[in-house]
Amino acid sequence: MSDHDHQHPHAEIVHAERPGYYDIMETAVRELLIEKHLFGPEEIRRQIEVLDSRTPALGAKVVARAWIDPEFRSRLLADGRAGCEELGITFYDDTQLIVLENTDAVHNLIVCTLCSCYPRPVLGLPPDWYKLKAYRSRAVYEPRAVLAEFGTHIPDDVEVRVSDSTAIVRYLVLPKRPDGTEHYSEEQLAALVTRDAMIGVVPVTIGSGQ
Amino acid sequence: MTETKHLLNRLPNDIGGLPADPIQRTEHELEPWEKRCHALADVLDFHKIINTEEKRRGVEALGAEMVGKLSYYERWIAAFANILFQKAILTPGELARKMDEVGARWELDNAERTS
Amino acid sequence: MTDKPPRRIAGIVAATGETPIFEVGGRVKVMTRAPVGHYRVPTYLRGKVGVVDAVIEPAAVDNEEEAYGRNAGSRRHYYRISVPMTSIWSDYAGSPRDDLRIEVFETWLERI
Repeated sequence: MSDHDHQHPHAEIVHAERPGYYDIMETAVRELLIEKHLFGPEEIRRQIEVLDSRTPALGAKVVARAWIDPEFRSRLLADGRAGCEELGITFYDDTQLIVLENTDAVHNLIVCTLCSCYPRPVLGLPPDWYKLKAYRSRAVYEPRAVLAEFGTHIPDDVEVRVSDSTAIVRYLVLPKRPDGTEHYSEEQLAALVTRDAMIGVVPVTIGSGQ
Repeated sequence: MTETKHLLNRLPNDIGGLPADPIQRTEHELEPWEKRCHALADVLDFHKIINTEEKRRGVEALGAEMVGKLSYYERWIAAFANILFQKAILTPGELARKMDEVGARWELDNAERTS
Repeated sequence: MTDKPPRRIAGIVAATGETPIFEVGGRVKVMTRAPVGHYRVPTYLRGKVGVVDAVIEPAAVDNEEEAYGRNAGSRRHYYRISVPMTSIWSDYAGSPRDDLRIEVFETWLERI
């Protein structure tokens, strides 16, 4: 049984215990490919930095900007990747981004039933639950039951729209701006926006975020 | 015999709509090797040594039992090994020897540390 | 107020796959083939009827071929299609308004 979701805190870089089989495999594959000059070690180091720099805070900034700037919002909805790039969020792969706007008529939810497609350049790495069977199999079959497990209840007269990523397009949910935030600054708004709201499993509320 | 064709026609990852349990809200900080593995995947894709879709196919090709029992990044690195062998970029022998060397290196480093 | 569409220049021939076959609003059916090997159309979608919500530009490599190392080759369009949940699942328990959106490669779709 794999123990990939163990609870104890990790030592920084030095292994407290012998590296596991797959850890050794990764190191061996990487070193062999570097020896064969297929790529350089600095490329791996750089890509780790790229990945570390991508967190939900980026998506939250996009959402907050869209809430306060209607013209940015229009551009973002027309081309999600270009909208993010306007804010300096580079996309290191060939994926496109469609930003899905939650309204009074439509609540959006994103999933990848076949694997784990996720808007990584703008949200970072997905949580385990997004990649595991329960969410992937049920989000397309009983989205409202899934939402209910996250504490989210959408009225029947609002469409729940599930987007299943299968190809080049990735999705980001643009949640509804909560009431009572009319005087919030862009930073205060961004602080409310959580990763889970941009996946679509929860709304943004005044109490959410940090 | 056609009663086995469903095994071929339904990939182990094609699970949309299948019965499943309540969602466990598990999250974990990536282990260092997992993050390196993810970075490796991205670099392999940039160079089109193994593109992202090849990786997906490689994971599927592990088959239902391994897809069910290996963790997310364990599936990736196993798939990469297989694909690299198929493309004659690495041989199984090379990888096995290098893995022994990496393991032995750790033993040596840790023997020194405790002595 | 809308501008008139620009007049097309006569004599231009588009390469195979350059021009999308389906248009936004068109009704399409997902084919029911059951291939061996890698596929990106989930089983739950096979044979379902939907409406094209968006044509994804530009034309791109078939990801089912890309999975076998074909990084290039004939490019066609992906289409984001809209399918009501009630037509996917006979026992769908949510609202009749609920909908699925999914990208499908051109060679998996037929006009109806």
